[in-house]
Amino acid sequence: MRNRTVKAAVVVMAGALALAACGTNKTESGGGGSASCDTSKGTLTIGVISPLTGSLSALGLGIQHSAELAVAEANDKCTVKGYKLTVDPEDDQATPQVGAQAATKLSSDSNVVGVVGTLNSSVAQTVQPILSNKKVPQISPANTNPSLTKGADLTNPKRQFPSYFRVCTTDNYQGPDAADYLVKKAGKKKIAVIQDGKTYGAGLAAAFSERATADGATIVDKEQVGEKDTDFSGVLTKVKAAAPDAIYYGGEYPVAGPLSKQAQGLGLTVPVMGGDGVFDPKYIELGGKEGDLATSVGAPTESLDTAKDFVKAYAAKGYKDPYAAYGAFSYDAANAIIASLATTLGDSGTWSDSQRDKLISTIGSYKGNGATGAVAFDQYGDSTNKVLTVYQVTGKDWKAVQTGPFEG
Amino acid sequence: MGTLLQQIANGLIFGGLIAMVALGYTMVYGIIQLINFAHGEVFMTGAFGGLAVYSWLLPADVQQIWYVALPAMLVGGAIVALVIALLMERFAYRPLRNAPRLAPLITALGVSVFLQEAMRIFFPGASSAVPFPNAFITAPLHIGSITIPASGLLMLVVSVVLSIVLETYVNGSRMGRAMRATAQDPDTARLMGINPDRVIVLTFGIGAVLAGVGGVLYGSYIHNIDPYIGFQNGLFAFAAAVLGGIGSIRGAVIGAFVIGLIKNLADIYLPGGTAYDYVWIFILLIAVLVFRPQGLFGEAERVRA
Amino acid sequence: MKAMARPLIIVGAIVVIIGALLPWATFVLNDGAYPDKASLEFFDAPFGLTSFRLYLELLGLAGLVFALVPLRDRIRVLKAVGWGSAGIAVINTLFIVGDGGGLGAVTVADGHSAFGGLAATVGAALLLVGAYQLPKAPLAVIKPRLPFWAEWLILLVAFVALLLLVTETLTAGGHSGVSDPYIGPLFLSYLCAAGALLGVLWAFGVTKWISDMSERHRIFSIVVLLLCAVAVPFTSLGNDYWMTITANIGVYAATAIGLNIVVGLAGLLDLGYVAFMGIGAFVAANLSGAVAAEFGIRLPFIVAAIAAGIVAGIFGAVVGSPTLRVRGDYLAIVTLAFGEIFVRVSQNNIGGLTGGSNAIPNIPDLSLFGAQFNDSLTIGGIQLPGGVLYYFLIVLLVALVMFVFGNLKNSRIGRAWIAIREDEDVARAMGVKTGKLKILAFMTGATLAGLAGAVFAHKLATASYDSFQFNQSVTLLAAVILGGMGTIPGAVLGAALLFVLPEELRQFSDYRLMFFGLALVVIMRFRPQGLIADRHRRAELADEDVTGESLDDTAIKSPVAVAGVKEAGA
Repeated sequence: MRNRTVKAAVVVMAGALALAACGTNKTESGGGGSASCDTSKGTLTIGVISPLTGSLSALGLGIQHSAELAVAEANDKCTVKGYKLTVDPEDDQATPQVGAQAATKLSSDSNVVGVVGTLNSSVAQTVQPILSNKKVPQISPANTNPSLTKGADLTNPKRQFPSYFRVCTTDNYQGPDAADYLVKKAGKKKIAVIQDGKTYGAGLAAAFSERATADGATIVDKEQVGEKDTDFSGVLTKVKAAAPDAIYYGGEYPVAGPLSKQAQGLGLTVPVMGGDGVFDPKYIELGGKEGDLATSVGAPTESLDTAKDFVKAYAAKGYKDPYAAYGAFSYDAANAIIASLATTLGDSGTWSDSQRDKLISTIGSYKGNGATGAVAFDQYGDSTNKVLTVYQVTGKDWKAVQTGPFEG
Repeated sequence: MGTLLQQIANGLIFGGLIAMVALGYTMVYGIIQLINFAHGEVFMTGAFGGLAVYSWLLPADVQQIWYVALPAMLVGGAIVALVIALLMERFAYRPLRNAPRLAPLITALGVSVFLQEAMRIFFPGASSAVPFPNAFITAPLHIGSITIPASGLLMLVVSVVLSIVLETYVNGSRMGRAMRATAQDPDTARLMGINPDRVIVLTFGIGAVLAGVGGVLYGSYIHNIDPYIGFQNGLFAFAAAVLGGIGSIRGAVIGAFVIGLIKNLADIYLPGGTAYDYVWIFILLIAVLVFRPQGLFGEAERVRA
Repeated sequence: MKAMARPLIIVGAIVVIIGALLPWATFVLNDGAYPDKASLEFFDAPFGLTSFRLYLELLGLAGLVFALVPLRDRIRVLKAVGWGSAGIAVINTLFIVGDGGGLGAVTVADGHSAFGGLAATVGAALLLVGAYQLPKAPLAVIKPRLPFWAEWLILLVAFVALLLLVTETLTAGGHSGVSDPYIGPLFLSYLCAAGALLGVLWAFGVTKWISDMSERHRIFSIVVLLLCAVAVPFTSLGNDYWMTITANIGVYAATAIGLNIVVGLAGLLDLGYVAFMGIGAFVAANLSGAVAAEFGIRLPFIVAAIAAGIVAGIFGAVVGSPTLRVRGDYLAIVTLAFGEIFVRVSQNNIGGLTGGSNAIPNIPDLSLFGAQFNDSLTIGGIQLPGGVLYYFLIVLLVALVMFVFGNLKNSRIGRAWIAIREDEDVARAMGVKTGKLKILAFMTGATLAGLAGAVFAHKLATASYDSFQFNQSVTLLAAVILGGMGTIPGAVLGAALLFVLPEELRQFSDYRLMFFGLALVVIMRFRPQGLIADRHRRAELADEDVTGESLDDTAIKSPVAVAGVKEAGA
């Protein structure tokens, strides 16, 4: 028995060796992709850092796919000569330490030319120094905390990181713009302010309150809700007791919609106003009522061809998730990086670390027309697009009621 | 004064909601000494089940008729919650019946996370809040100076009624006696001819039905649901169950109303206002657990080896 | 069936080898060609295979060899080989099917055929069926004890091999450049192969032999391990990215070991543990001279870290005191409530100490003799990556925490904690001061977490309430449980897995949390003592006796032992 099995083993081994001798050395035929572009110099990457999992994933995935759309279009048009572009999405799980890992990973890759991200301001705080150290430009589609560009002391603004930019507007503009509209145009004099305690909402509410008081209104009540809250009867009863004629909410639509509806249910039929976190079709589905208001950056989509093109192109690509609140911003951010890269490299440039400084300064002086309007950056890296639009819920839809650049 | 009454009304409504979930916690703990962390998720799946029935099973014209749509959603939600709870019991908890205490607790945490994520991934649109139809009378009711939404009143009424029914059942029927016997001493109960497995399944089932109904009513009241509503509401429900005395049905309901009232009154009267209202509930929970672990109506805790 | 065992195994092994050689994908997938030229024709240079196909081929060959060569403990070896092959085959096949949009990707499409996946799966199945038919045998034990220098040498070799294995694991699939779209299944395949290798070693008794040796030469082992840890920046893991990940792993591992004191030793389930880390982080942030800090002073790091530990320890005692009257499950809820209170309170920027939603950013970098910790360092001509000093600091931190834990565990206090965990009333009856000891457990755990938090704050340069939410507590608990309660390597392994796996298994990132929950359930069901189990725990939880033999198995004892028992008993 032993002999037989040993013999069998030998036979098999011999067979295997014989097969080895029959081997060939084929290489595979090339993969898909547009053969019309010259991609001889290799691949360059745009990184994306946003929450791709967890409760904010809808926003994060919208950011990722919009950047992918921009890159795909650039590849089709051969925008960057000699290179193919790809996107490397990294999940930050809306947590600073994971964001730091993602940033370190992207920054240690010499093929990463720029990063679109982050969503959360607290994650941005850890990501900024890491990317900046390696001179990787970062354009955020969604950070709204003013300190990220201007430092902790806003009366003495100092640019924190020369490689950090953002295409969205900060609370400094949205809040006061909303206050101007609500107090001066809509004539509300007694306003209750509610916010959700997070960086975006708290900052926005604070900026709003300051401006509203300066405009002559009285803030009759200030309340805070949790971002996961769903029952606002307690808060709204207190607000109702203060008898406001409007409510300003700093936060996002998942809370704002039910808040508005419950206010109505309690007999508090005053308009609720919010920022771009509230400006979403879902707000109306979730409970936004007639007369509610929201501000958003940029001119209305219907009036901008670039915005309509973006919406069409995004739908055509068939992504699983919608572009959500920050998709258009992410698209513009990615395009800013791509266009600046094309300018930096010119027709025959080669990417290397020495080009990084030039890329950052090119982005700094970038001027383009994006899905959110005119895209350009000021000396702090903030968006110069001060065009803000106020929308009102009219007949189950958002309709623009005022649009224009924010003065002062 | 009007504000105070209003807050009390709000608190009672919230308490009614919490009560339906707390009942499940208290019954399960009473029988197998397990804090079913995933009970909040049972509540959440009930809500999504009701929504699924509404969106996919009811034809458009029926959706508007609330006295047909709402019961259909309630039944749908209850069934979905029941199925999830029974699967949970069978595959996650029953094999660990004799394991040291840590194991079922961790398992419950795992089940909870799993359900949250599974719902978020597989239910269309659940990555953010999903609108829930208002399947009841929309107009708010005015009683004196208080305004309450009709669905809130419905929740309160249903919760009280179901609790009374449950209490009667547990105290009156044979199966109820079997449940109490198993809770008191499973081995002796087995000697008396009671099948503890069946009793446990029944307990889970009743708790799940209550939570499922609660979920659908919650959705009607708040008008949206998302996969994470189970966590926070579950925590409050547990606080309510502990406050009332874990194992006691009456206690769970009363505890729930107390919690609801505290939350709304803390908004007005306690320092920090609305920002800290949950903190007060947690402080109360800790205080109860420290100074009177058996709660208001519970028996002093039996020491287990 | 038993007679069929060997032929089944042989056939299975051959089919696996053939499967490895066949093409695996019928066309080039949308994300790019599946690695190792998987779309190529049959018999393409079989010794030119790499990665998962090579592993399969090697496993198949191993299976063949072990089936034919006489072995005492063939069953375990072949089981390991079988499961490893099955894992690789199934994972890659499923992935190609999923990514390729249907079964056509692994069978026939567009005139190309690619049965590699199916063949390998079938082969592995046959192998396993055959392996399970083999008669059971006792676990091989390597008896001889060598002179100490020989054992030292073997230990050195073993640990270095482990280091290389770990390095290889982490970089399998490649990291530089655009991340390989197939990194997920490749990493899993690597894990299966490595697992099979370890399984085979275990079956030969090698792993137990080495672990016994390391027990005998404990100090030497620890020194070697420390050196290996220090050597990591010099290996292929020496870039900024891995320095950051390992630093995060280290901080969480240190915290997990602290949690191990509370949960693993004293048996007190703490669901709000990450709050102590947060307290330590905020204290350190406030004392670090950051612009947003409440206090304008800047203390040297050592002082700030110790202060952070002390403050966290005080809070630990505060949290611990109500628990005196509360048992088991209730304790879990109390600690959970404390955790939630911490999150709420820090979100609202109580006393200006936590920065609320603005957090405390821009915490200054640490520096030692002028070298900034975040910068890259050059020692004797070798350039080390940025952040390497943080890494070394964290290795020191982990070593310190391990030292504290090890000493506590083997001391009177540690034994008293274990007694409390097993049965509190009996412990009290034996004179153990349960109340004070429980508070001490909380305090010690909290202090260690506070220290870890201080380092964390500096490494991350931000202290934000975001980092310390409930899901982090669950993650820490999972790390401790998954890795193995009550053991240090377990806590480190658990923390490592929880950080590395999401990086590697990026394909499945959307399902990450779902699998995480599922994993908790499965682990608790099938291996509650975790991956690296404490001896006592294993005995307690999995019905094994202290030498690792399963008590359930109808193991055939060796004739000598049986005879010995008979003699003794007769």
